[in-house]
Amino acid sequence: MIETLILGFILLLIGLYAMLSQKNIIKIILGFSIADTGVHIIIVSLGYLKGRRAPILDSAVDIANSVKEVVDPIPSALVLTAIVIGLATTALMLVFAAELHKRKASFSIDDYKELKW
Amino acid sequence: MINKLLIIIGIIGMLLILLPILVNFQSPTNLSALAEEYVRGSVNDLKSPNVVTSVVVTYRGLDTLGEVTVLFLATLGVGFLLENKKNKSTQRTVSENIRTTSSFLVSLIMVLGIYIFTHGHLSPGGGFQGGVVIASGFLLLILSDLDFKISHAILRFVESISGLVYVLIGLIGLVLTIGFLNPAILPLGKYGDLFSAGAIPLIYSLIGLKVGSELTNIIATMGSDRSSESVVKEER
Amino acid sequence: MVNPLYLIIISLMAGFVLPLLDRVNRKLSLATFIGVLLANTVITGFWMHGFIQADLGTLSFSTAGFTAPLSINFQLGILEAFVLLAINLIGLLTGIYLLKKFNESPLAGMILFIMVVMGANGLILTRDLFNAFVFMEILSISTIAIITLKRTNESLSSGFKYMLASGIASIFFLLGVVFIYFFSGSLNLDFININFTDYRLIAVYMVAIALLIELKMFPVNGWALDVYESTDAGVATIISVINSTAIAFMFYKIMPLLPSNFLYIFGIIGALTYLMSNLMGLKQENARRLLGYSSIGQMGLLLASIIFTAGLEPVLRIMIVGGFFLNHLIAKTGLFWISGLIKKEKLKDWRVIRSNKSLMIMFGIFIFALSGFPPFAGFWAKWEFVKSLLAGQNILIIALILLGSLFEVIYMFRWFIQTVKGEYKEDELSIMPSGKVILTTLLGTLGFGLGILIMKNYYGFNFLFTLPILSLLFIYLIDFLPAKIKGIMSLGGLAYYGYYLYTLVQFENPIQILFGVIFLVGSGVNLISTLNRSEISKGFYGLLMMMIFSFGSLLIARSYLEFFLSWELMTIASFLLILRGKNAQKASLMYMIFSIAGAYLMMVGFGFAPELIGSSALITGLTYVQLPLISIILLALGFMIKSGVLGVHVWLPEAHAEAEADVSSFISAILLKAGIWGFLLVAISVVWNAPQFDVYYWMGWLGVFTALVGAFLASFQEDAKRLLAYSSMSQVGYIIAAISMLSHLGWVSAFYLSLNHMMFKSALFIAIAGVYYRTHTRNMYEMGGLIKKMPLSFISVLISIIAVSGVPPLSGFGSKWLMYSSFIERGWYLQAAVLFFASAVSFLYLYRLIHTIFLGQAKYEHKDVKEAPVWFIIPQYIFIGAIMVLSTFPNLLIKPLSAMASQYFNSNIVIDGYNVYSSYGHWNGNLIMLVTMGVFIVPLFFLILFIGKITKVKQFNIVYAAERPESPQTTHVAHNMYAHYRKALGGWGKPRIWDFWHGSAEWAHTMGDFFRRIYSGNGQTYLLHIILFFVVVFFLGV
Repeated sequence: MIETLILGFILLLIGLYAMLSQKNIIKIILGFSIADTGVHIIIVSLGYLKGRRAPILDSAVDIANSVKEVVDPIPSALVLTAIVIGLATTALMLVFAAELHKRKASFSIDDYKELKW
Repeated sequence: MINKLLIIIGIIGMLLILLPILVNFQSPTNLSALAEEYVRGSVNDLKSPNVVTSVVVTYRGLDTLGEVTVLFLATLGVGFLLENKKNKSTQRTVSENIRTTSSFLVSLIMVLGIYIFTHGHLSPGGGFQGGVVIASGFLLLILSDLDFKISHAILRFVESISGLVYVLIGLIGLVLTIGFLNPAILPLGKYGDLFSAGAIPLIYSLIGLKVGSELTNIIATMGSDRSSESVVKEER
Repeated sequence: MVNPLYLIIISLMAGFVLPLLDRVNRKLSLATFIGVLLANTVITGFWMHGFIQADLGTLSFSTAGFTAPLSINFQLGILEAFVLLAINLIGLLTGIYLLKKFNESPLAGMILFIMVVMGANGLILTRDLFNAFVFMEILSISTIAIITLKRTNESLSSGFKYMLASGIASIFFLLGVVFIYFFSGSLNLDFININFTDYRLIAVYMVAIALLIELKMFPVNGWALDVYESTDAGVATIISVINSTAIAFMFYKIMPLLPSNFLYIFGIIGALTYLMSNLMGLKQENARRLLGYSSIGQMGLLLASIIFTAGLEPVLRIMIVGGFFLNHLIAKTGLFWISGLIKKEKLKDWRVIRSNKSLMIMFGIFIFALSGFPPFAGFWAKWEFVKSLLAGQNILIIALILLGSLFEVIYMFRWFIQTVKGEYKEDELSIMPSGKVILTTLLGTLGFGLGILIMKNYYGFNFLFTLPILSLLFIYLIDFLPAKIKGIMSLGGLAYYGYYLYTLVQFENPIQILFGVIFLVGSGVNLISTLNRSEISKGFYGLLMMMIFSFGSLLIARSYLEFFLSWELMTIASFLLILRGKNAQKASLMYMIFSIAGAYLMMVGFGFAPELIGSSALITGLTYVQLPLISIILLALGFMIKSGVLGVHVWLPEAHAEAEADVSSFISAILLKAGIWGFLLVAISVVWNAPQFDVYYWMGWLGVFTALVGAFLASFQEDAKRLLAYSSMSQVGYIIAAISMLSHLGWVSAFYLSLNHMMFKSALFIAIAGVYYRTHTRNMYEMGGLIKKMPLSFISVLISIIAVSGVPPLSGFGSKWLMYSSFIERGWYLQAAVLFFASAVSFLYLYRLIHTIFLGQAKYEHKDVKEAPVWFIIPQYIFIGAIMVLSTFPNLLIKPLSAMASQYFNSNIVIDGYNVYSSYGHWNGNLIMLVTMGVFIVPLFFLILFIGKITKVKQFNIVYAAERPESPQTTHVAHNMYAHYRKALGGWGKPRIWDFWHGSAEWAHTMGDFFRRIYSGNGQTYLLHIILFFVVVFFLGV
């Protein structure tokens, strides 16, 4: 579906923009989350076939002719994995943010450049 | 200033690079050959109505095992980073509404969670979704009951054992030389039954338990970590 | 064959069960931890063994009871087995290294470590792209979490920066993979069979860029540097070695999907990364961060080698890529481990390593390995890589890589020298022998053994070519013996070696015998002077024999590689010998940098050269090939660097002056001849296959000016050894000019001068060594009047300088006579005139040698000085004797030399009895000797008669304006003796060349400092780098 695909791309770019322009670490992580969500939407959109059903072959689907009736199950399966991995990444990022804040009492990314060059 | 400009150039550049995909996008009219095989195979070989579940648990089972591992690692990382920083000082109060609703919602949420992961092969949902629902139940408990202390030992135990059994189930397939994570180690049963599709429901239940306990663990660890606030206060 | 899934299963089960085991007992979990890593290593070891035993092709292992592409499958071939074994072994060893740390840390550390290894294993094995994404996430998440094993502000913030970068990378990778599925309908690498052209390109591009980010390519690698700097040494090891390797392998797997123009760009990015990170490394003072720069650089090199070897046959490809890989693996692991033991950040703090002998040797091994010296894997890889790049006309890549490599050598060796020679007090914190030291030693030995294995098994080198290394090892084993015993053993070994070469190897060409005499007999006589060493002199004889045996190998080398190998071994040995000098830090570093630059020129030169036919020695083989002009120029330049030709001579005076007294004579008299030998080999190939452009005309001029400038510079020195060094430079100029004439007479005189120079320069250096031994100074103006204290040394110096200056009656006259004849015959009149002028200048410095050191009045401090030790006198007089004999009977030498040269040119000198006839006259050495003897004896007689009438004056009875000068010697005429000449030279007296090289060095450092500013330390800036990198590279490729 082109509409959701466009939406996904917009979210991705918004997320990236937020990651690049926001100084607050939490907002950067939010940016990542938005971009990640954009990616998930893109994945699902790519697997969508117009007018078809979810790939669950219960009584509502003609099993003999199922391949003509359901959408692509693979992107759905991939996105499931991707979501969980995104969740794990975000959780870890947040913990890093908390731990950094604990040490310097600041959420500004500019305050964490002890190491350089 | 130059930084802003570079950011905008970067984002516009990304847009320009991604645009051809949108321009040339044509919604497919047929499933890919691989997807067709999955749809057929799910019915014929695995007797699982939910094709996504078949793909997730069986065909791409290794991905799922990896995914569980990623979550496991995140839990581990969260615990590793926040360890020994527990602090009891809480000034938070819980509203009456939350306390009341949660007392009867929690059990329902738990049941729903269990339903979702045990019926992963039949209906939308599965281990991850069920696990998340269960974890949300615990989240509600933590939010509503200030004295609620979940035992990390039990969580870790559930997490470890469910993960271990998951791998062992896979291993049985390997030992029987029918393939790692092949659900056919159990009888496939009748299409559409709760106890069908071989080991898929079992695996999904284990995943559900594991995900539930892991997420709960993350939430509990993060929730019990209030030391940051107190440190900040001391500094001030 | 064990199913590779077990690698994953074992690790996962351990990961899940460890939290339970840890409740029981920490020891139990530690045992499980090591058990898992050990099991991984054993399994991969069995695979490797299996694949070596039989050609099994590639095996596919699928999951879930379905075959690919339905299910995810693992592929296992010899390549996978090799990489897996390597990283699992490093995983095991690093696990052991970190055991103590893990025992004290939360359990999560161990599990994360296992998961890093598992993630890497899975990434290498899987053929499914999405599965690769999952394993990549496992790898990065566990890596990021384990970074905080060392909990500091720095490690936390660098971990967060890593997280952001890898978050973006994983978004790219995931999108790319999904697009690939969308376009091709498959996720399995073996089933994707469409071309990713036009708008589809973005799919594979995203995947590739994600991998480049994770591979830490320039400039998207700032976060990685911070991580390397801040995390625990063991963790840095696994990031640098295990993590990076797995991702590089993944890149190798997706390569078939990438369009070739993008592959080329990625290859350039790899080479550029190597160049830039080494350039930026120049300015580093923090050891860990320096290692980070080096790691990143090595990954760039690895990437470039993976891409640019794509068309080669598999075995060669493994040699190159595998060589770089193993080299990086072992050297970087070792260095990171050592950095953990040092516990200090600054490069200069590494000198505590000297408290632990074996660790220091390992440090040296890792540095040499990383710099691409033989016998380590990197040497062979670099050689083959440059060769294959040349075959593919990838000059740009070669330039990037060799320049990067040069920078790497500079900072690595600066570090090495600083470490082994810097000020070190015993009471500083020292490194106790521990398990970690043993592990490091094990690793270094492994790297060394692997190198030898490649050398013996892949190339099948003759025993003679491994002899330099073996002799070093052997003498190291008996190093506890007193110096004299080792010296005599060395002498015996050398005698047998010379005899063996002469009788058994059978020289093909008499020129080999001539240089054999220079290299081996010369070394033998020089060796006598080292017997004066009274202390144990640890390491000295090993290095010396290594150098001498390398000279021997140079003579008999039959292929370019044999020659180059021996050349590099010679460089190692001579570098370490020079480094032994007390204040030789700067000198040895300069020597190393120039040697390496020369070696790279030679490497490219050999790469351009056509294949040799047959297996005769180079001196025969090269006659039959037509070297292209570029090859001639590069090779000649490389050799001229070693001989200290004008422009690249700046290392020469430093090295000669600062080396130990008895080492200087080896360097000057013999090592410089190795350059001449190489130069001659190139010239031989030109005789019958001359290039269009008469490059030798210009080389002749270069030689002439070297002779002139060398003579001038020698005149202005106060330091006796520097004077002799510049004198050597000047003499080498004559030889280069003579060889460049490409004529019979020219070559005869070049041969003649080479042998002569070896003898008189040895005698002079040993004499000066004797003087230094007694007076403890090298400044000539601090000496004087030593003629009475050291008459034997005086006589030998006198005879030598007569030989040098080319006045009758000694052999120098013969060589000058031959040389001028040949110049005139060749029609190089102007050159002859300049050389004649140079000869005149050389009188200035030679006179000074006699006047300032031996004549005049003795200094008070030297009143008790005795004659030089007998071990210095013996070799001097052997050389003097030889010079006298050859001067009296010049035909003994001229005849065979003429025969040698007439192999290539028509002879135009006639030898008859004691007379040598050329078209410009004749020379009768015997007669001249008799006449001159007569001329000398008469004044001597008078001198003896009137000796009593000499009145003595006090030397320093001068007072300036009622003030005593601080150091009275400097007011004497002997100090700054030729100041007026220097003035006369005006602007020409300025050390322009010196300034040029200094300027270049400074410029490189400034550039490095400029570029590293892009690593601002801000995680967000690094993200911006990534996005811009993504955009810019894409548009570059399109």
